[in-house]
Amino acid sequence: MKLRKIVTVVEETRTEGGREVYPPARVAVVAAVIENPWASQGFVEDLGPGINDTASDIGSLLAPLVLEALDGPAEAYGKAAIVGLNGEIEHGSGLIHTLKFGDHFRKAANATTLLPAVEKRGPAGIVFDIPLKHITDATIRSHHQTVEVRIADAPHADEIVVALAAAAQGRPQQRLAPLTTEQ
Amino acid sequence: MFGIHPVLTSAPLTVMFCGMQQIDARAEIGLRKLVVHRECVVSEAGAAPARPVHQATAAAVVRNPWVGTGPTHDLSAEVARIAPVLARLLTDRLIAALGGVDAVEAFGKAAIVGSAGEIEHGGALIHTPYFGNLMREFLGGESIICFADARADAGDPLVVPLWHKTAAATRSHYQTVTVRVSDAPRADELVIVAAASTGSRPHPRIGDRTTDPAITPTILESVLT
Repeated sequence: MKLRKIVTVVEETRTEGGREVYPPARVAVVAAVIENPWASQGFVEDLGPGINDTASDIGSLLAPLVLEALDGPAEAYGKAAIVGLNGEIEHGSGLIHTLKFGDHFRKAANATTLLPAVEKRGPAGIVFDIPLKHITDATIRSHHQTVEVRIADAPHADEIVVALAAAAQGRPQQRLAPLTTEQ
Repeated sequence: MFGIHPVLTSAPLTVMFCGMQQIDARAEIGLRKLVVHRECVVSEAGAAPARPVHQATAAAVVRNPWVGTGPTHDLSAEVARIAPVLARLLTDRLIAALGGVDAVEAFGKAAIVGSAGEIEHGGALIHTPYFGNLMREFLGGESIICFADARADAGDPLVVPLWHKTAAATRSHYQTVTVRVSDAPRADELVIVAAASTGSRPHPRIGDRTTDPAITPTILESVLT
C-alpha cells in the first residue's frame, strides 16, 4: 500500500435547532489517501490479489485512528471509498466491501452490523457524504446520520481515498419515533 | 508500520475535547459547532518528507453578533467579549491536535463571514489583540499572524496561509491549508479559524534569504528584455 496522506476531521456540535446539545455531539473521520493498487494496469479481471494485498492493511491502519479521534466509544459508524478519475468505482468497492477491511473496525468498536458505505469517483476536492448507522442494530433510527468530507488535493486520478467515520451518539436533537412504532 | 508520525497515533487526541470548564463562556459567544481538521503528508512526489509534518485547522462556528447593526456600529465591546474566548478555545484544539505548543512551527488565521455580515465583522474577531495577541502567546509565537478572509456561503472552502511563528520570512514554512465547514457559515454566522503546522512544506528546496543571490532588475536585464 502506497500511502500519501492521512486526514483526520472531528466535528463537535454544540447547538442544533437553536438548542444546546449536551454533551456535544461528536463525529470523527479518518481518511487515507493511497495509490490505486490497480493504477496503470488496464482492465484487471481478478481484483482478488490487489484486495488481499491492501484491504486488511488499510482497515487495520484506519480503525484505531478513527476511534482515537472520536475519543470515546462509537455508537454509529460508516465507511467510504472515493476513487480518482482514472480508476473504477469497482476498485474502491474492492478495498472496502470485504470483511478483511471492515472487521478491523467492527472488532475495535465492538460492533456487529455491516458498515454503511459511500463509493464514488471524482476529482481531487470532491465532497462526499459518509452514511453512518448504529454499530449493533442498523434499524435504530436515531443513529442514521451522515458526515460530509472533503480533502482539498485528493484523490488524484490514480489514487483512492479510503475513510472510516464514527459517531459517539445519534443525531443531535434526534426525536423520531422508533421503527417499531410503525410496525 | 506506514511511517505515521507518533502524534497521529498517540495521546494528544485523547485530550482533544476535554477542558469542559469553559462551557458557559462558549455558550455565551453563540458557539454552534467546532471542527478540527488535521492532515499528515506521509509521502509527496513519491518520497517521504524528512520528517512527517502535521497541519491542522480549528474552526468555530459562531453567531454573528453584528448582523443588522450597520456600518457605523462600534464593534469593540463584542470583540472584547468574544475574541478572547475563541483564541483560547481554538488554540487549545490546535495544540492538542498537533502534539503541544513546542510542536507548532507555523501559524495562520482566518474568518469566513456569512452573507448577512460584513468582512469587517470577521476582521474584528481575528485582527485585534483580543484574538491575535492571545493566539500568538498561546502558540509560543512572535511573528505577525498571516490570514485569509472571505464572505461566503456555507461549505465554501477557504485556503489559509501559514508562516513561521517566530521568523515569518522562513521560506520553507510558507504553506497553506484548506478549511471548510460543510454547513457553515449560515448567513448570520461567522467561521473563525486558527491554523498551524508542525514543520515546513514536504520537500522545501527553494533556498532562503540567506542563500539567495543578489537579484535586481539590472542584474536580470537579459531575462527581462
